[in-house]
Amino acid sequence: MTVDLSTAFGRLRLKNPIGTASGTFGYGLEFAHYLDLAALGAISVKGLSFRPCHGNPPPRICETDAGMLNAIGLQNVGVDAFLAEKLPELARLGATVIANVWGDTEDDYVAVVERIGSDRRVAAIEVNVSCPNVVKGGMIFGNNPEALAALVKRIRAATGHPLVVKLSPNVTDIVACAHAAVDAGADALSLINTLVGLAIDLERREPKIGFTTGGLSGPAIRPVALRMVWEVRKAIPKIPIFGMGGIETVEHVVEFLIAGANAVQIGTANFRDPSLASRLVGELAAWCEDHGVARVSDLVDTLRTRPRPDHEFA
Amino acid sequence: MAVNESLRVLRTIHYDEHHYSLFVSAGTIGPKTKPGHFAMIQAGEGFRPYLRRAFSIADVTKVAGVPALEFVVKIVGVGTAALARFAEGTPLPVLGPLGVPFPIDDLLPSDRVALVAGGIGLAPLVLLARTLAARGIAADLFYGGRNENDVLKRADFERFLGPHRCRYATDDGSLGRRGRVTELFTNALAGGVRYRRVYACGPVAMFRALAELLAEAKLEGSFAMESEMACGFGVCLGCVVPMVDGRFATICKEGPCVSPAQIDWARL
Repeated sequence: MTVDLSTAFGRLRLKNPIGTASGTFGYGLEFAHYLDLAALGAISVKGLSFRPCHGNPPPRICETDAGMLNAIGLQNVGVDAFLAEKLPELARLGATVIANVWGDTEDDYVAVVERIGSDRRVAAIEVNVSCPNVVKGGMIFGNNPEALAALVKRIRAATGHPLVVKLSPNVTDIVACAHAAVDAGADALSLINTLVGLAIDLERREPKIGFTTGGLSGPAIRPVALRMVWEVRKAIPKIPIFGMGGIETVEHVVEFLIAGANAVQIGTANFRDPSLASRLVGELAAWCEDHGVARVSDLVDTLRTRPRPDHEFA
Repeated sequence: MAVNESLRVLRTIHYDEHHYSLFVSAGTIGPKTKPGHFAMIQAGEGFRPYLRRAFSIADVTKVAGVPALEFVVKIVGVGTAALARFAEGTPLPVLGPLGVPFPIDDLLPSDRVALVAGGIGLAPLVLLARTLAARGIAADLFYGGRNENDVLKRADFERFLGPHRCRYATDDGSLGRRGRVTELFTNALAGGVRYRRVYACGPVAMFRALAELLAEAKLEGSFAMESEMACGFGVCLGCVVPMVDGRFATICKEGPCVSPAQIDWARL
């Protein structure tokens, strides 16, 4: 049996549903030595700002149980350097590139998107409204459906590229944020970004991270991510979704597809094993074959849930 | 370029309850390794420890005739504790060699260099000492620790460099001079020795003091820096240090061996 891994993702047609997550994959080129970039469904590059950004002072990371905290602070080379120095090589290597963008203000986001313009070497734009590690921008939009809608409307007007909005899990109602983004013109959603956490150095009674709090990623967050993907899928049946959060194995990939993601992004696991993402493409085909699944898209949104009972008081 | 491969545990030598040497098969990493390179090691399956750990490749050697990488490790947490317990033959995922090695290609046989180590900071200096010895370049070792147990692999250093070139300092005076390793080094400078370059690895306090000494004496340095790292190859951006030009530089990719003159010690 030949398994069909191709994935319709709104206007995009991905080779397979395995992508890599922004902030965990550099500009892609760092991984070219460990895997074939062209073999991946899509790669989402480090969040790009209009001007280069130095990021936060160290310490920036620490390990936690089944995961890690980070507060990198969106250090990046800036959109111009990305377009001039990274994108040509990514295009030459055949990568499907998603440009992740961020800013402090609406104008900043629009400026980055306008710089990218109609460059066809960029397959889609992913809007980061969910970074918990910068003082301005980022989560100010991600936490507030009205601010989010206003931002997405402006970006929508500024680009013809497919527009993916990456949502923050640090909200009470992820579905309200998803609706706000989609109603404002998002073509697709990515969820989830990191969960805000705190780790403490007991002897010093100081946070282990210089920024005090950091974003939690890794296997520890996978159940939360699955729940949010599932909630948004139920609420918005047609919207293309990138699911992510703690994916380490092919079984984890399949979980996200069943919960309702059309495709996934491998994140922190890229740090542990730089070859993992491409290996998962092969393992996904094998898993589908073993389970009699002819098209990987047949797995999407197939969670069988039971009706939830009302409270029964004794 | 670095290789992501599975290497077998060949032997573990425990020096005391806190320190050990881990020998793994050299794989294809061994022949590519230069002094100052490091490797990322996954300490077993499962999610505790979750991330790989960064270790200097202390030596490229042999165990019972089998080519081996040696890592000298101090137990400081779950990763270093887990790595101490693997039986011979256990496969470990290893990514390496990584980073910018010590600059040594420009040294001349007439040059004299210094090696300054603090505690577990000896690790990258073992292969450096072996390599310098093979090239016939004179090197003086200044090695300090809290006590005698902290000052490891003295026999190797003395074999490579000559016993007369190895000087020790301990906080409690149990080995060598009582006091700090930087005091040993200061005394040598006061004696009029002129070093072409000073290679160092140790805790931040030692680096800071040494950087000041080198700046005053107008001596060139190369420090093998350490930091928590998630990836080891320049993408997580977790291991940065502040530089004098205002940037943050990754220790894993722009280092670990960096010139102390480029680091903004006031912001570190």
